[in-house]
Amino acid sequence: MKFDLNEDQGLLKTSTRELLESESPITESRVVMEDNPDGFSKKLHQQLGELGYLGIVQSEEGGGMGAIAFAAVLSEMGRVAFPGPYLDQALAIRALEAAGATRWNEAAASGEKVVVIARSENPTNSDDDSVSCQFADGKVTGTKVFVPFGAQADALLVTTAQGLALVQRPGSGWNATPLSTLDHSQRFCNIEFNDAAELVADTGEATIILEEAAQLGSLGAAALMLGCMESALESSIKYTSERIAFGVPIGSFQGLQHRAADMLIKTESTRSAVFRAAWAVENGEADAGYLVSVAKSWAGPSGRFVCGQSIQLHGGVGYTWEYDCHLWFKRIKTLEQFHGSTRAHTENALARSPHL
Amino acid sequence: MDLNLSPDALKFRDELRAWLDVNLERSYTEEVLAPNADEDSLVEVRRQFQKKLNDAGYLGMGWPTQWGGRGATQVEEAILRAELAAVDAPQSPNALGIGLCAPALIHHGTEEQRNRFLPKMLSCDEIWCQGFSEPGAGSDLAGIRTKAEPDGDDYRITGQKVWTTLGPWSNWIFVLARTDMDDRHGGITFFLMPIDQPGVEMRALKQISGESEFGEVFFDNALAKREHIVGKIGEGWRIAMTVLGFERGGSTLLPSAEFGHQLDCLVDAVRTNGDLERPDVREKLGNLIVENEVLRANGMRTLANVAQDLPPGPESSIDKIFWSEFHQRMTDTAVELMGPQGLLALRSPGARTDVHWMREFLWARAGTIYSGSSEIQRNIIAKRVLQMPTK
Repeated sequence: MKFDLNEDQGLLKTSTRELLESESPITESRVVMEDNPDGFSKKLHQQLGELGYLGIVQSEEGGGMGAIAFAAVLSEMGRVAFPGPYLDQALAIRALEAAGATRWNEAAASGEKVVVIARSENPTNSDDDSVSCQFADGKVTGTKVFVPFGAQADALLVTTAQGLALVQRPGSGWNATPLSTLDHSQRFCNIEFNDAAELVADTGEATIILEEAAQLGSLGAAALMLGCMESALESSIKYTSERIAFGVPIGSFQGLQHRAADMLIKTESTRSAVFRAAWAVENGEADAGYLVSVAKSWAGPSGRFVCGQSIQLHGGVGYTWEYDCHLWFKRIKTLEQFHGSTRAHTENALARSPHL
Repeated sequence: MDLNLSPDALKFRDELRAWLDVNLERSYTEEVLAPNADEDSLVEVRRQFQKKLNDAGYLGMGWPTQWGGRGATQVEEAILRAELAAVDAPQSPNALGIGLCAPALIHHGTEEQRNRFLPKMLSCDEIWCQGFSEPGAGSDLAGIRTKAEPDGDDYRITGQKVWTTLGPWSNWIFVLARTDMDDRHGGITFFLMPIDQPGVEMRALKQISGESEFGEVFFDNALAKREHIVGKIGEGWRIAMTVLGFERGGSTLLPSAEFGHQLDCLVDAVRTNGDLERPDVREKLGNLIVENEVLRANGMRTLANVAQDLPPGPESSIDKIFWSEFHQRMTDTAVELMGPQGLLALRSPGARTDVHWMREFLWARAGTIYSGSSEIQRNIIAKRVLQMPTK
């Protein structure tokens, strides 16, 4: 038995951290979030493609590195609240590969193009998978909501009643209405489609492709949350060790120490759950779906606790825009709403559990 | 990463399961339900099952073979404890002797002490209890005041110990007592003492569950023989601290296995009561199942590190808080989900006969207090793992 990453995965984690520390530390995440109209750096996005990061969950032949590497990379991205469609595009690339849409798969995996999946039609329930969008006569019609980075994408994989349709620019200019949401580094839009499209997977294929993407999305979201928790905890320990009140560092007070201990418990147990799930997915274990739901169901509320308490431990400055606490806090709350809500994963864990 | 059990470990598990199929006739809960069961007869049930385990070579797993052990790996030990918990097997009445006193003898005792005490500890012909905590020294264990005064070659012990699990059924007690009243850590010595002697009075302590598994013991000039001192005079604290940290791998899978069995029973209760399709019930059940699975993931991670001889990571400091506080949430929710039925004692008309929920609900309150309270554990995490500042 071995819980640690293997050598390749460990190297990937280290080099990802180094890359992000030099190209996109949290100060840069903040600049992008505040000043970049796209909400992400296209240059860095391309660089991630060139380095092979975007195709990380493709098949091994396609350049994929497996679910454990995927979780390791995403937890590093969570640490710097990395802005952009990295996770969404990695899932779309996997779907494009599975659908045999080779040209777009390559363009997306190289980072040249931005491609994401447009799935949800219900703004009050992201678990609602009902689809009213239609594909007919080479066109997609209907409306999708909360499409991640849909306004910035070069192509969209749109779920329709007839299967998975690819809509692309140029040629089609979909009508995107940007949304203003909690986390400024996660851009969403609603899209009304009346656009030329190509059906890349029929309903049967699409169901399998989307289920697979959803499972990886849930795992990836949980791993991102883990990274956010790591940073929020580290920042809290640093701050409470330096901040003096009543003549001593406030981190010496037991009330704060016990809160920090609880944050560590939540963070480390999330790590156990996320990597156990990643291992199960990578090895095709029968209980992979169950364990992924366990991980995401656990990571959401745990992440909210850790990042919320991080604001609390920073005191007044934790509530300022200038300090970073809110970046992780907002990301967690946002991620909790997508890739299967906490409630949906709790129900799925129950339904698939060996106890039933 | 590799979370699979090795072929050897799987073989061990399968043989153990086959052995349990044949040798465990009734679960412990079924034993408690037997018409004439009382506290004495149940200790006897536990003693007999321990004898069976010992005869089959399933005790003292990690000990060297020369003292009756098996030289097994910690992974095998963890599997054993998890499998026993999952089938609700009677627990060894000598768990504290085997878990704490025996390692002290193996690592710090004399050959005579090992030969004299270890075989009867394993066969359960002698039951041991632990004399560490005192009314004035629980979490602050070094604050003990029980005094050991020289009497010729031997020592005379005076003082009081408390929370002595299975004390009323024990034959021997391992005791920390002061050979120096001023030297906080260096003044403590580790003694082995027979309970049946003048100057030792054992009293049962009634717990909130109504049981009296605990005792308190009073020493008034009781005799501790020179040859029954473990290690040297003044080494007691160091020995106690090392044995308390031993075999951390052995219990890593136990809590999630035990609670997993209880969750099976809870799901069955809720289904029988017709409540399994209620969304509010499903959400609560789902949360418990998720949390127990995370507990299992933590345990697998700790065990994997132990299996590789890695130093204890933060996860081993976390496990105690996690399982003990989860046990409270789980039993609390279980009693709630079963409605008034959850309040029934095991032998009451109308009670479930698979888990004694009322007793579990109460017993869960002890877990956050014994073996280092949750508060002490959080202090340890803050100081040693997070390295937060001291005043």
